[in-house]
Amino acid sequence: MIALLIANSLALASLLIMLASGLALMYGLRDVINFGHGALYMLGAYLGYTVAQVSGFWLALVIVPILLAVVGMVLELLVLRPLKARSHIEVALVTFGLGIILGQIIIFIYGGVARSVEAPTMLSGSLTLLGLSYPVYRVFLILMGLGSCALLAIWLRFTRSGLFVRAVSQDPSVARMMGINSDRLSLMVTSLSAAFAGIAGVLAGPYLSIDPGMDVVMIVDCLIIVVIGGTGSIAGAIVAALLFGFVQVAGSVFLPNVAALVPYVLLMVVLLIAPGGIGRGRVLS
Amino acid sequence: MTNRAPIQKNLCDSSMTESASSSWRVPATGAAGVMLFGFGGLLPAYLASDFTLKVANEGLLLGMLALSVAFLMSEAGLVALGVASVYGSAGYLFAIGMSEWGLTPTIAVVFAFFALIAYSGVLGALIVRTNPLAFMMLTLAAGEMVSHAVMLEAVHDYTGGADGLVVNFKGAILGVQAADFVNPRYFWPIGWTAVWLIGVTLWGVARSRLGATLRAVRQNEERMRFSGFNTYLPRVIAYVLVNAVAAVAGLLHVLNTGFVSPESLGLGVSTNALVAALMGGTAGSIGPLAGGLIFAFAQDEFGARGATQLLTGVAIVLFIVVLPRGVVGSVVAVLRRIAPGLVWLRGKA
Repeated sequence: MIALLIANSLALASLLIMLASGLALMYGLRDVINFGHGALYMLGAYLGYTVAQVSGFWLALVIVPILLAVVGMVLELLVLRPLKARSHIEVALVTFGLGIILGQIIIFIYGGVARSVEAPTMLSGSLTLLGLSYPVYRVFLILMGLGSCALLAIWLRFTRSGLFVRAVSQDPSVARMMGINSDRLSLMVTSLSAAFAGIAGVLAGPYLSIDPGMDVVMIVDCLIIVVIGGTGSIAGAIVAALLFGFVQVAGSVFLPNVAALVPYVLLMVVLLIAPGGIGRGRVLS
Repeated sequence: MTNRAPIQKNLCDSSMTESASSSWRVPATGAAGVMLFGFGGLLPAYLASDFTLKVANEGLLLGMLALSVAFLMSEAGLVALGVASVYGSAGYLFAIGMSEWGLTPTIAVVFAFFALIAYSGVLGALIVRTNPLAFMMLTLAAGEMVSHAVMLEAVHDYTGGADGLVVNFKGAILGVQAADFVNPRYFWPIGWTAVWLIGVTLWGVARSRLGATLRAVRQNEERMRFSGFNTYLPRVIAYVLVNAVAAVAGLLHVLNTGFVSPESLGLGVSTNALVAALMGGTAGSIGPLAGGLIFAFAQDEFGARGATQLLTGVAIVLFIVVLPRGVVGSVVAVLRRIAPGLVWLRGKA
């Protein structure tokens, strides 16, 4: 029972980690929270649906992140960079508006009905582990989530660009004085976050349903996670995503009547104890 | 007054020190305002068609919400994305107060209003401590929380779930009969009066010591704290104040339509209020109200083609990037350039 609970919450947290860490990365470089991230995730899911129809799930998992990375580049070059002199709140509102536009275009193309994607045969069915039967697809989801966490950690810890990203997140002006080109880094990080949103979207297909409201649900969850994790802290976001996944899954098991409210209670409790969140995010002036 | 002077000198916009310098402008502006109020309240009720008035009434209510959003934006630098949760909850609380607890309509209105004041006080105390970006995220989350709460199976008997509630009441509230609220011809002067009271109140608060403190905190919270100001309480008060405005709008809405649904507290309404505020311009009281009216008529024009939400998205981007001062703010800026003698307009819009 407990093992199943933890496995389920890890599966949900995997998706959330991919989205929330992307948000935190972008925040670190540009001081902007991308309110359109939910729409990018939705775009990933619908593109994944189309590609999976034509050429199968695996190809979707490769093509969609590449397409989304291009969308991320466009976002950086046409929106974030030209607006970098404007206040962060204004830029955040612009991403909010762009998210609405993107969501509406997707609904216009695909219609208002929910879609579903079949997991590939290799990942369908279930697996028996330690006497417990568990869907293979969720195991795959957990592996993808943990894998992307590990890759992210390795990139940030051991590569030159990762070092630069950490430097800019910690102190943008000093990092720039030391000759770090934060525009180039931001291009990389924005397309990377968008690509991760694309992966999350494709992965969500066989696990959750693909429907017109998915962007709002996901962005609200991710915003809660980013706030709980301490705005801009990547490690905090990952811990908060795990916590959030667990609380949501446990809530739906133990408190089915009010499960929808449990994440908000978590948020309020964290804010009451630590208004800055659990991680060490950079404090914004 | 003695400790008020330095604040005004150092922290206020230049408009404060310039205005009221000429003795005839204040009475002239006042007289123009009274005339605008009188004609605006009566003429449409005689001249416009029922349908136009209905749209205009929606615009008034949206204008009130926009006033609430705009005040917080321009004075405290905070963006609230959850204003609809208070707007919609007002209707639910009013309906539940009457049907479940047998309150009279007037008491139910008072109950709903103060319950929401208490709610926003608690919520505000929690969330204004965070930075402005986190505040924006948290108001969005809190709004979604209320939307989810209304849809819970456990409260279905109270809220009607996705179907919403039909709100019928008999008798009068503050001397106005139930049927008069529903009639667009009678509702227009009521809404018009309310929106003026709110607009003038917010304008007055913006010019008070509280407004000056809020603007100073917006610009540099740390410095204000070091200077010995309480930077927390003013923002809580501002948050409660704008939610009180949203609650009034929500109560008028439910009295006018006789119906409350989950849509009225959804993100869509909050977004519309934001767009209306950006459209009109967030500084001052005239801009947001004009924005609300423009939005309602534009929605009536384009909504039938199912493009309302797409256009709200486009409007957000367009107004922030191209016209950050909004329609009214831009018109005033142009007027001031071609006719510098109209500089007193600054105080109004």
